[in-house]
Amino acid sequence: MPLVDLRSVVKRFGEHEVLRSVNLTVSKGEIIAIIGRSGSGKSTLLRCINGLESIQAGELFVDGIPVHDPSADLRKLRARVGFVFQSYNLFPHLTVLRNITLGPTIVKRVSQADAAALARDALRRVGLEDKMHAYPDQLSGGQQQRVAIARSLAMSPMLMLFDEITSALDPELVGEVLRVLENMARDGMTMMLVTHEMNFARRVANRVLFIHQGTIWEQGRAATLFEKPTTEELRSFLGAVLN
Amino acid sequence: MIRDLSWIDPLYLLFALRWTVLLTLLALLGGAPIGLLVAALGRATKRPARLVSRGYIGLVQGVPLLAWLFLFFFGFPIFGIDVPAWLAATCAFSVYSGAFLGEIWLGALLSIPRTQWEASASIGMSYVEQLRHVIIPQALRIAIPPTVGFVMQLIKNTSLAAVIGFVELTREGQMTAAATLAQLSVYLMVGALYFALCYPLTTYSRYLEHKLHAAR
Repeated sequence: MPLVDLRSVVKRFGEHEVLRSVNLTVSKGEIIAIIGRSGSGKSTLLRCINGLESIQAGELFVDGIPVHDPSADLRKLRARVGFVFQSYNLFPHLTVLRNITLGPTIVKRVSQADAAALARDALRRVGLEDKMHAYPDQLSGGQQQRVAIARSLAMSPMLMLFDEITSALDPELVGEVLRVLENMARDGMTMMLVTHEMNFARRVANRVLFIHQGTIWEQGRAATLFEKPTTEELRSFLGAVLN
Repeated sequence: MIRDLSWIDPLYLLFALRWTVLLTLLALLGGAPIGLLVAALGRATKRPARLVSRGYIGLVQGVPLLAWLFLFFFGFPIFGIDVPAWLAATCAFSVYSGAFLGEIWLGALLSIPRTQWEASASIGMSYVEQLRHVIIPQALRIAIPPTVGFVMQLIKNTSLAAVIGFVELTREGQMTAAATLAQLSVYLMVGALYFALCYPLTTYSRYLEHKLHAAR
């Protein structure tokens, strides 16, 4: 059974159709890079997968949970699907430690001590053990984003969704965040990432999806897709971003 | 019968101050739940709920407080219900506080970015957990200074209850002034007592703001 299974998924904002009958399956351990122009629907696709956006037609299963079903237990789903945002969205009134332990203690009812251990482990994986007691606004953008990743990791997710997580960062801070992602990839995490980092996508992703006008316009292995795009739209997109 | 102002008069004023304080507390006790409801309805997903909230705030703020006092004091007897002045005043001030507190708290809730809701939802928190751990702690910091500011307005505005015969600080002052003709001294004392009540609140509000800011 695929971990993520989209069947003819349609997403509309009012009259505007953002996703038009998207079909997609993602297996455990896959790393999927999602590329496309802004407004193509790639972020919306990601947001639908953990139920941040509802869908108007089709079916969407994540680990067997019917996300399209209004009565689906989104809480259970989200406890197992990590989501990292472009603008980090840490909780500014809480320390780094509490930002990370909030999910485990509140949602998964883990004890404070065990949650702190989870947080320490997650922070070690993103290289920020020494920032445990800092507040978000004392950290750089790259550090905040790594804390946001640690916040998701502490929930022991089976799938991680990354929505343009390096787009808001200064160029010199992008590397530290991408290194964290590469480590996670090496550890076998299933990941879907919307990204503008083409070199990173080429190096790390098993599969690249090119989203255009709300559909998966073209997909395949990174090397194949980047070397031999078959559609004119992908060719012109790659021409614009690679040069 | 005109008498001289004596040492006992400041004491009478001081005793009258407790009715001012009590009326303020009753108004907050009645107004806070209304305010919470107004704030909750104001950010509901259903449009009619938001309209009720907006409508309440608009209606109450659009009518003078004095009119609300008269409405409760003279309105109930029309339906054969006699209300004492303190009860009419409590009702009027609760209605009034509910609108202003509701508006302040709604504003604080709405000022928390949507992304904070999304981030807390994305780790699986329920609506109540989001409010309790993420939204309200941040909204509180924003809401405290204007809330304290409103409480000070309320303390001073309870003086309006004097017009329906509720004896609080201002009414007591009026009576003392009439008996002694020492208007200036009496009203200076009345003013000083209001100040003594409000000034610590300003200071406390500033302290809270600073403290919450330092502790984020």
